[in-house]
Amino acid sequence: MTVLRLLWRHRALIAVLVKRDLDARYRASVLGFFWSLLNPLLLLAVYAVVFTYIFSPRFPGGDPYPLFLFSGLLPWLFFSGAVLDGSATLVDNGPLLAKVMCPPELFPAVTVLSHLIHHLLALPILLLAMVVSSTAGLLPFPWSFPLVAVALVPWLLTTGGAVFAISVLSVHYRDMRDLIGHLLNLLFFSSPIIYSLEGLQVPVMLHRVLTLNPLASLVTIYRDAVFAGRVSSPRLWLTAFAVGVLSWWLGTLIFAAYRETVVESV
Amino acid sequence: MKGSIRFSDVSKIFRWRGPRSRHETLKGAFFHRRTRRSSSAQHVALDGIDLEVRPGEAVALIGPNGSGKSTLLKLTGGILNPTSGTIEVDGRVTALIELGAGFHPEITGRENVVINGMLLGLGRREIEERMQEIIEFADIGSFIDQPVKIYSSGMYVRLGFAVAVATDPDVLLIDEVLAVGDEAFTRRCLDRLARMRQRGVTMVLVSHDLDLVTSFADRALYLSRGRIVAEGPADAVAARYRSDAAGDSGHDDQAPSAREVDGGQRWGNGDVKITGVEMLVGGKPARLVAGGSPSSLRIRYSVRRAVEDFVFGVAWHRSDGTQVSGHNTDLAGLVPRRLANSGEVCCDYDSLQLAPGDYLIDVAVHARNGLAYDYWCDALKVRVTSKVEWPGVWSPPHRWRSTGPEWE
Repeated sequence: MTVLRLLWRHRALIAVLVKRDLDARYRASVLGFFWSLLNPLLLLAVYAVVFTYIFSPRFPGGDPYPLFLFSGLLPWLFFSGAVLDGSATLVDNGPLLAKVMCPPELFPAVTVLSHLIHHLLALPILLLAMVVSSTAGLLPFPWSFPLVAVALVPWLLTTGGAVFAISVLSVHYRDMRDLIGHLLNLLFFSSPIIYSLEGLQVPVMLHRVLTLNPLASLVTIYRDAVFAGRVSSPRLWLTAFAVGVLSWWLGTLIFAAYRETVVESV
Repeated sequence: MKGSIRFSDVSKIFRWRGPRSRHETLKGAFFHRRTRRSSSAQHVALDGIDLEVRPGEAVALIGPNGSGKSTLLKLTGGILNPTSGTIEVDGRVTALIELGAGFHPEITGRENVVINGMLLGLGRREIEERMQEIIEFADIGSFIDQPVKIYSSGMYVRLGFAVAVATDPDVLLIDEVLAVGDEAFTRRCLDRLARMRQRGVTMVLVSHDLDLVTSFADRALYLSRGRIVAEGPADAVAARYRSDAAGDSGHDDQAPSAREVDGGQRWGNGDVKITGVEMLVGGKPARLVAGGSPSSLRIRYSVRRAVEDFVFGVAWHRSDGTQVSGHNTDLAGLVPRRLANSGEVCCDYDSLQLAPGDYLIDVAVHARNGLAYDYWCDALKVRVTSKVEWPGVWSPPHRWRSTGPEWE
């Protein structure tokens, strides 16, 4: 809570820092913003081709597959992008931290927010894809789409907590960043992004493990809203929010434990 | 009180986390768990520092490298937290450390100014209001709208300085920043700092430039290995440091002439003794005077034997010996009657119209026939600053008018 209050107090500064982040990212290239869409679209194309023509997915409710995939990939890219940038944010802003008295909390928050804005800018494209596909009769239009706003809350909390923890740990342990890359890979394949947990034909043990993945509920509520066109069960929502709150709490706790020595270590 | 600083029993210990240290990596942390605590080396950067700085005071921190000067500065700025002890700093603090270090290369100077200003505690609107002033001081013209990555290092530093001083701090922390940049820039910075001092901004300066220290600071702290070795008037402490440094290294190229240390020659029969000479700017003693400022020279004296014939005089000259001005109470038409009590004599200057540079001042009290009661050569050294390096010694306020030529 104190972290939220602190961030709120510095909201004007956070706003300009987020703007700086986005400006710097988009300005350095001619295509600007579209570059940042190219990455998920390429990823989407690869997975769509592989899983439509090479492997055929063995689960129901995944049609049309590219849209199914896109709706799982988008929030994942928000999470993984923020976490990856988060592992460098304090180190990158080290000169600033060593020079100006400013709370180090700002930088992980800025990383998360700029990735969130990034994500929000991509949402209209997902919506457009849904409108076009439903007009073409490929799937019924998901009227639950606006629920994405609620589904993003646990995503934001989870990502925030993870970025807080990882940003401060990367300052103290320089090999954190390499580790994060591997962990993200593992997490990607164990989350129901390229597949769905529903009716998945795998051994029971594996299914149980996959269900335990904290991100599973988050991916599912998001996809239910923007793709499947249904409201997830209250249990699932509750799980997702619990994951979010737990992650935030843990992340800010870890941050607080290490924050005093951040400036000395960067 | 805005602008005051108080350290009580402050210590700062750094745990050694060098790049070669064992638990710099996760791998290290896991595999060397047992040895972790016992082997973690410590470095005591500051050890039980007590310090009090009054509002408007200028304090210099001197000492060899690694003595804790910069750590003390960073603690004052709240950038680092003390390991033990308490620090109270009142008012807005701005640190001039690694100027422009926070600039982002991809975005324009203007946007960087906004971000930097906000980091230093200004509101967005306040920055917009001061933008013109900042651009002018940094002297970078239309480059302000270019990405910072194409700036020269000089422009970078100038912009950093301009933002930092535009924040109107109550306390200004200065870490060797005057050592960077070209001469013209250094001169303008110094002039700006002199003006801020006259406005009553508290300043803490870290510098190896002892000339700067003595002209800039009222008081100096000599730090060595995290402790205060000497504290007192800037000249005395700087002299002590000089002699220590000369003793340590065996070189004496740093050592000044004897004349500089004990304030020059002095003679007289001692009937009247000059006990103190100070330059006052805005009512406060200063060694650094912004050119054109109203100021006064205060001479304190004590009388050992009452006299009826006396003249107080002042002579200004440059450090190379050039005479600048001489004036005394006799030339001003003051007729002495009796001097029996101790007191002070002030010579007020409406505006100190001197070109920038160092000036030495002789002060004397003597009889009208020239018999010296106390004649003190080089009693005071004053540095005059200015935005422009006017040649010569006289720097009158002036304008140019013309009818023929066309000017840009």
